[in-house]
Amino acid sequence: MFQQYIFNTLITSSLYSIIGISFAIIYRTTRFLHFTHAVVFTSGAYFTFLFYKLFGFSIYFSITLAIIFSLLLGCLIEKSIYKPLRKKQASSMILLLASLGIYILLQNLISMIFGDDTKSIRSGVVKEGINILGARITPIQIIIIITSVIVTILLLLFLKKTKTGKAMKAVANDVELANISGISSNRVILISFAIGSALAGLAGILVAFDVDMTPTMGMNTLMMGVVAMIVGGNNIKGIVCAALLLGFAQNFGVWYISSQWQDAIAFVILIIFLLFKPEGFYGKKLRKQSV
Amino acid sequence: MTYLLHIFILIGIYIILSLSLNLIAGYTGILSMAHAAFYGIGAYIAALMALNFNSPFILNLFLAVIGSSILGALVGIPSLRIKDDYFIIATFAFQIIIFNILNNLVSFTGGPMGLPGIPQPVIFGIKISSHFSFLVLTAILCAITYFICNKIVKSPFGRILKAIREDEVFTKSLGKNVSAYKVKIFMISSGLAAISGVMYATYITYIDPTSFTLMESIFIISIVIIGGAGNLKGSIVGAVVLVMLPEILRFVGLPNSIAANIRQMLYGGLLVVFMLWRPQGFIGEYSFNRNNENG
Amino acid sequence: MDNLLKIQNCNKHFNGIIALDDFSCEISKNEIVGLIGPNGAGKSTLFNVITGFISIDSGQITFNNHTITKKAPNKINKFGISRTFQGLRLIRQMTVLDNILLSFKKQPGEHLENVFFKNKKAKEIESENKRKALKLLKDTGIEDKANDLADDLSYGQQKLLSLLCCLASDAELLLLDEPIAGINPAMIEKILFIITELPKKGKSVILIEHNMDAVSQVCERVIFMDTGKKISEGTPEEVRNDPKVIEAYLE
Repeated sequence: MFQQYIFNTLITSSLYSIIGISFAIIYRTTRFLHFTHAVVFTSGAYFTFLFYKLFGFSIYFSITLAIIFSLLLGCLIEKSIYKPLRKKQASSMILLLASLGIYILLQNLISMIFGDDTKSIRSGVVKEGINILGARITPIQIIIIITSVIVTILLLLFLKKTKTGKAMKAVANDVELANISGISSNRVILISFAIGSALAGLAGILVAFDVDMTPTMGMNTLMMGVVAMIVGGNNIKGIVCAALLLGFAQNFGVWYISSQWQDAIAFVILIIFLLFKPEGFYGKKLRKQSV
Repeated sequence: MTYLLHIFILIGIYIILSLSLNLIAGYTGILSMAHAAFYGIGAYIAALMALNFNSPFILNLFLAVIGSSILGALVGIPSLRIKDDYFIIATFAFQIIIFNILNNLVSFTGGPMGLPGIPQPVIFGIKISSHFSFLVLTAILCAITYFICNKIVKSPFGRILKAIREDEVFTKSLGKNVSAYKVKIFMISSGLAAISGVMYATYITYIDPTSFTLMESIFIISIVIIGGAGNLKGSIVGAVVLVMLPEILRFVGLPNSIAANIRQMLYGGLLVVFMLWRPQGFIGEYSFNRNNENG
Repeated sequence: MDNLLKIQNCNKHFNGIIALDDFSCEISKNEIVGLIGPNGAGKSTLFNVITGFISIDSGQITFNNHTITKKAPNKINKFGISRTFQGLRLIRQMTVLDNILLSFKKQPGEHLENVFFKNKKAKEIESENKRKALKLLKDTGIEDKANDLADDLSYGQQKLLSLLCCLASDAELLLLDEPIAGINPAMIEKILFIITELPKKGKSVILIEHNMDAVSQVCERVIFMDTGKKISEGTPEEVRNDPKVIEAYLE
């Protein structure tokens, strides 16, 4: 029983950390809450459903195509809405409100096209779990854990080693300074949307293989990622730690109270952190001198 | 005719919601994603009182406003420490926690099954049951809410709210206790939102948590922004437009299954369009143009 | 002379940078003190420390014998200290008149209960404040701008307005951060005249300014600071000729 909880914690945490990281990559360079990310996440699942179930493409081709489409969706939103807004010197609040609008628009579009009922792409995949160390775990859940580890390592390397990664850090620290030193912030932001959206699409697909899909699956999952990002301090290592904390609290919380309270548990943790340690696990002090 | 009265009652309920949110978002410049939570708290307090104790409507209304104000303070106080984006996320969290409570405390709130059979209001011995009498009551409550909000925003108290919206640091340097003002306006706004909740609960006579979701909060924000933040008349315009518009679509003959989606897409789309070209809304005086001070 | 403000051994570090280094000084009633020094010397930090926007690491500040160290900015204002900001802060989306009205202290209309009850008294005081505000505007020749947005004023008029806001608050001590930087000579003269008149009304001023002519014109006493320390203090003449000051500027 205990092993099962450990595995569940790992699965939940892996998922939250992919979402959290994919959101943080965008948030770091743009500094506004891109809520539409939730629908980009959902789109990964529905694109896969479309290509695999409706068009009859092979599963791997469908997944690849779906990730590319999610990436393109993210970039399209950046190019057509956010970039023009930034050009008008829009505040982060305006960008946030626009992102909420796009979220509502696209989420309802998915509802309208595919219906509100649960859709499944699991049929071709083995559903039965296998026994590992006394816990039942399905192959897709193992894939979720492995993917999350690989993604985290690759991203850390990317941000540290590559020129683009360093440019992303520079823009995250100070947009104006980065622009002065010859970095095109618009290009860097577009790249962060590409990476973040592809990751979100991937996460959406993984979730769909694990527990099926509904048009509204995105917002709650995204919020868990955002909580992981804030609690972690907007830093990749911090997000992983925070995701583990959240996964642990939610899965072991079930021992004491019913599983319906999982969301509430996460948000209570968030509020505690915001009040008492707003910079998160690893973050620098966020509050700059405001005078 | 009944249908038209129904729409007018709904507009009235949303006017109260958007007027009250305007005090926080439009006048004080703080975005809150938790307004539907207060709407819900008001509805549930009144419904539970009426169902369990058969208490009079006026008392229920009073308790709903007080209860919601106290919870409003609970959201307002963190706003002193948590800023900008993180505060928005915190209100988001509050909204979802309240929804969870309404949905999960089945023995108390009825959970997803909701609370059926809420008695209709009786005021000074007059039973409010026809659509027309409900419309009159809603209109009176709307007028009272407008009067209160108008008094506030036209007073020196309101002047400080606007100053906080534009420049908190400067407002502090003028000796104003910014924190106290924020908490107070949160309490007023939440209390007023509860009025809508009470009206909704006693009008429909049935409530369940799905009426008080995050999406509902976003809808109320959209009304405030599209109508015009920082202008009380804007909230009225916004409520009329956003409640009427989907009803007009109904006459185009859209099938019911997609009408709900179209309705939402419409206001989602409007929100984007307004942010791009008219962030101050139809007749607003504030366009959320202040950037994050922190982070 | 009566002591008004007393700053004792204040220290402040930000991320390893020393902003205030054992800084002490005293300000008496009815005097104008110039605070000068190179950029980054800690002058504006000192203002932020006095007005409570930055908390000090150690030291003590007393005003009229009240300890104001670690008090909130709004409380400190209520003791009678008013300030302008280096970057010029105003409520730009409000009218000129409203900016001044905002600055008055003890307004009953700012209390929520008076918005609905005892409305009459609040209204009386509001209209009295309005009269005072219009007089301030009239005395400085911008009464025709009363109903314009603060944002629509010229830069010089905005600086004048921020000074008028300080006057409206009826503070005993005014901290003015570069009140005449970047504005035209006529406006400089107008603002300097207002400042010179202040001691006669029982007010003291600390003035941060780079324009030495202006400082010599209005200040009896000058403090020169560099890297968070007080380097020199005395009449403008004395400070100008102090070898330590000359050295600091040559570096």
